[in-house]
Amino acid sequence: MKTVRLTQQGIVFTIFILLFAGFAVFLPGFFTADNMLTLLQNVAVLGILGLAMALVVIGRGIDLSLIAVLAVPTGLLLQLVQDGDSFSHALLMAALLTFAFGLFNGWLIAYAEVPSIFATLATGLFLAGLGQTALFKLDVVQWSPGLAGFEKLGQGALFGIPMPIVMFAGACLVVAAFLRRTRYGAFIYAIGDNPFAARASGLPTRPLIVLQYVLASLIGLMAGLVLAASVNSMPTRIYNSTMIYDVILVVVLGGIGLAGGRGGVLNVVIGTLLIGTMLNGMTILDMSYSAQNLVKGVVLLAAVITDSFLNPRNEETAQQGDI
Amino acid sequence: MTAPILELRQATKLYGGVPAIDGVDFSLANGEIHALVGENGAGKSTLTKVMAGVVTLTSGTMSVNGKEVAPRTPLEARQLGIAMVFQENSLVPSMTVAQNLFLGQEKFYNRLRGIYIAAQQFLQSLNFDVTPTATVAQLGAAKKQMVEIARAVLHEARVIIFDEPTATLTPEEKKYFFDLMRELKRRGVSIIFISHALEEALQISDRITVLRDGKHVVTDETKNFDRARIIQAMVGRDLSKTLYAERKASVRPAKERVLTVENLRMAPMVKNNSLSIFAGQVTGVFGLVGSGRTETFKIVSGILKRDFFHGGEIVLNGRPVRYLTPAPAVRDGIAYITEDRKVEGFFETMSIARNIYIGLLAKLGAKRPIVFNKEAETVGKQWVQALNVRAIGQDVKVVELSGGNQQKIVIAKSLVQKPGLIIFDEPTRGVDVGAIAEIHQLIDRLAEEGNAVVMISSYLPEILARSDRILVCRQGKVVEEFSAHEATEEKIMYAAIH
Repeated sequence: MKTVRLTQQGIVFTIFILLFAGFAVFLPGFFTADNMLTLLQNVAVLGILGLAMALVVIGRGIDLSLIAVLAVPTGLLLQLVQDGDSFSHALLMAALLTFAFGLFNGWLIAYAEVPSIFATLATGLFLAGLGQTALFKLDVVQWSPGLAGFEKLGQGALFGIPMPIVMFAGACLVVAAFLRRTRYGAFIYAIGDNPFAARASGLPTRPLIVLQYVLASLIGLMAGLVLAASVNSMPTRIYNSTMIYDVILVVVLGGIGLAGGRGGVLNVVIGTLLIGTMLNGMTILDMSYSAQNLVKGVVLLAAVITDSFLNPRNEETAQQGDI
Repeated sequence: MTAPILELRQATKLYGGVPAIDGVDFSLANGEIHALVGENGAGKSTLTKVMAGVVTLTSGTMSVNGKEVAPRTPLEARQLGIAMVFQENSLVPSMTVAQNLFLGQEKFYNRLRGIYIAAQQFLQSLNFDVTPTATVAQLGAAKKQMVEIARAVLHEARVIIFDEPTATLTPEEKKYFFDLMRELKRRGVSIIFISHALEEALQISDRITVLRDGKHVVTDETKNFDRARIIQAMVGRDLSKTLYAERKASVRPAKERVLTVENLRMAPMVKNNSLSIFAGQVTGVFGLVGSGRTETFKIVSGILKRDFFHGGEIVLNGRPVRYLTPAPAVRDGIAYITEDRKVEGFFETMSIARNIYIGLLAKLGAKRPIVFNKEAETVGKQWVQALNVRAIGQDVKVVELSGGNQQKIVIAKSLVQKPGLIIFDEPTRGVDVGAIAEIHQLIDRLAEEGNAVVMISSYLPEILARSDRILVCRQGKVVEEFSAHEATEEKIMYAAIH
């Protein structure tokens, strides 16, 4: 007997289509070329962060320090250039900081065996605190002439497509290739599906976990660069915002189960599109920030409940063999 | 004899179509100590779990004091006066003894002093030497058991079920525990007592029931039993003569020595274990629960975590090795095929081909940086054919297959790594009869191809039918070795039971 399987991915995509069509018909000013570009541009940074989060969630982890990684290394870059450093040297320092941070996250989770949620909560706090107390002079690290040309990453265009969108698309391709085409990608799915079986099959599970967090941090840095180049500054207080919830929302809504081993880049794209459409529509509707949070909360809850109905744990089969 | 307090009629429980207990009749008289014996997998645990409300019957009836009941949760069973003391402690380690005793019965305003005083009085009335303010985590195994028993008595249990209560106790503690059981009996509590230690069953119980292959074999007064009769009842079987045919004529000789283990120690399961494994033959490893057989081979293959390793030497193909993780062991050609495929066997969201391909990628390591879906498909197809996996298609997720096919996938995932030492742990557990025959053929073929094959099994006919050489484990080490020529079920069982 073959029953039609409803995947969360399919449901979310259908909701996205309905929402998009609804807005396009009933909301004047929504379905215009300009607004479409704005929509995509606004969610590009969120989408890139979603890719980083997806990478670790597929491996049965979570990275709450992503917003700190978004803000601090790029802030350091801007600060160093402001203080007279060369752009390339400053970029190298930012990349090194990000790399070391990802390595530390991975070490904590893989070798010290701290649950990822606590490890990254603590390291994220640490990195944000380090930035605010020791690295930056002001909460918003300002643009300086030494950065000329860098703003193209956020404000330029390639064949008429705004750069943030190009960057998001590029990141999608790279991450998709990594997950689907490389050995490490296959191993990350295996670890997320069943870490014990992965270990027993002879996969180097610990180095792979470290790899995940290093990659997530580097993608976070990329998001930070795009953000800074778009707004000509780095508002480091972004760490105190609720952005990390939006990132989780993108990933979970897109259908990447928090249990690990499921989903891929396509899910991030779908999740990003839905969130982007929702946020854009609500902004045009001139809904208050609090009302927007309310809607987001309801949508996330609906997604999580749907997920647990679609992927139930079967107790009867879980007990099999325990005679 | 008085009317039974607890009775099961035609009790049957199926797990995925496979019966764990099959039409079992059982009755427990008021105030008796009833021992339940049988091999691993005979259905003892399932039978008692049914009584304790942990699992529900597929068919059959259960009655308490003549009234038909069907407890669906341990709480419902407790309300019927049935309590189970589990092998794994069900106490909350971070709470005190008193808090554990009254867990779930706290008043709205939970005055700790009141609880301590009540616990003190209660423990004294039972003559238990346990401090109510002690944290459970600090107690030894025997004291923990006392707390469990005290809790059962406090809940006014009229039936208490003990699952392997003496396994973790010292001889002195055992003696105390038996006194305790007699005291409970004097108070009119009926006791069911699962044990592998036949002497204990003979010593303490009033009646003994023997189960085998999920079926009831015999129930009789203890005075009518002796050790030999119990063992015969436990192992004597008529079932599937062809599947487990004797094959003493075709015993394969040992080739070169592949693995030597010397004085391997890992507290508390492995105690100075020494053994050798040879190429070109099947070495059967038999032992009851807690004999350390699985743990020994999990240390050899690097699966047990490094910090539990306490010493000893492992020599693989003449080279001393010590694997801290499974990855280097896999590279050196050791395959451990798990007894618990759901937990550490397969990847449930992945297709058949993917599962097997992951095994290949793990072995190839850096030689295969890019994943080729074509290759995965080819490898998958090849092994599905080689092991005769019956599935609708290769894209079917492994979790949707039958137990036998799942087991074949787990085996293929290891064999694709071309190991030289293959360790099967309970290779036919939860597997249908057709697949058992195929897996057995495969085990024979692997040995004939010159591999060193280890087969850990709790099922004596399987051990006898497949092994060229048999090692028997007891209490953390190999205590006896038989060649296939001299081994009999009785001899093996005798060596395995303390």
